Amino acid sequence: MIKTFTHDDLIRYLYGDTSKKENKEIEKALICDSELQEIYKELSAVKNQLERSLKEPSAKALTNIIHFSRSYEPEVKH
Amino acid sequence: MGNISLSDSKLVSLYKNGNEEAFQQLLFRHKARVYTSIYLIVKDEYLAEDLLQETFIKAIRTIRENRYNEEGKFLPWIMRIAHNLAVDHFRKAKRYPTVVMEDGSGVFNTLEFAEDSFESQQIKRDTHARLRDFIRELPEPQKEVLIMRHYMGMSFQEIAEKTEVSINTALGRMRYALINLRKKMKKYNIAYDKNFYP
Repeated sequence: MIKTFTHDDLIRYLYGDTSKKENKEIEKALICDSELQEIYKELSAVKNQLERSLKEPSAKALTNIIHFSRSYEPEVKH
Repeated sequence: MGNISLSDSKLVSLYKNGNEEAFQQLLFRHKARVYTSIYLIVKDEYLAEDLLQETFIKAIRTIRENRYNEEGKFLPWIMRIAHNLAVDHFRKAKRYPTVVMEDGSGVFNTLEFAEDSFESQQIKRDTHARLRDFIRELPEPQKEVLIMRHYMGMSFQEIAEKTEVSINTALGRMRYALINLRKKMKKYNIAYDKNFYP
């Protein structure tokens, strides 16, 4: 029997907050339930769009961080 | 290390022993997410870059001094540092914002599209600018959860605790945030790839 899932379950699945067992059940439900599958595709698409819209810091900021790391000497505790 | 993609946990372990390449992989893997999250809170590019540097400097010190003990959870850990520094900045200035969005000036405008044509670059910029507007128009509780979950990588359980609501409320807010964004994208005929599954 295919378990019924809510849209909130899809959100948890989309963001990796579900267990392996839940993942298998949700994936099974997605294959059988075209409406659920459609909603999942729509939500994934928005998530992907958000992911592509990340803002990048300047190269100078990154260089500063790398230089700090290279020159950092941890204190030796006696 | 070549092109092999190591886990954050492994990279942290290598960096503990002074492997600089491991640190650079961590930095390049997470820089945009950390920077975007800070920027969405402070709404100032220069300040966000200062806080980004401060965040990673704290992380460097903690890891290299063997005080890091959250194996496998590097991103939520460094995002907490970033979030605390951003909020502390406002506390010092006697301002207490919740998570707020930028006010219209180029959140998503400085992305690099070097491999695209000019026209393609323009379309992408327009799309991201429009998406920025849509996020800004979301109700505050939805924006807050969206930023905490999507950009900061907090779990829904952590968001529920932080915002003092039930986990179902946090999930519901996230769902409405994504659905509202989807509706607006459709309404304004913004192209997006729906062929991602799963």
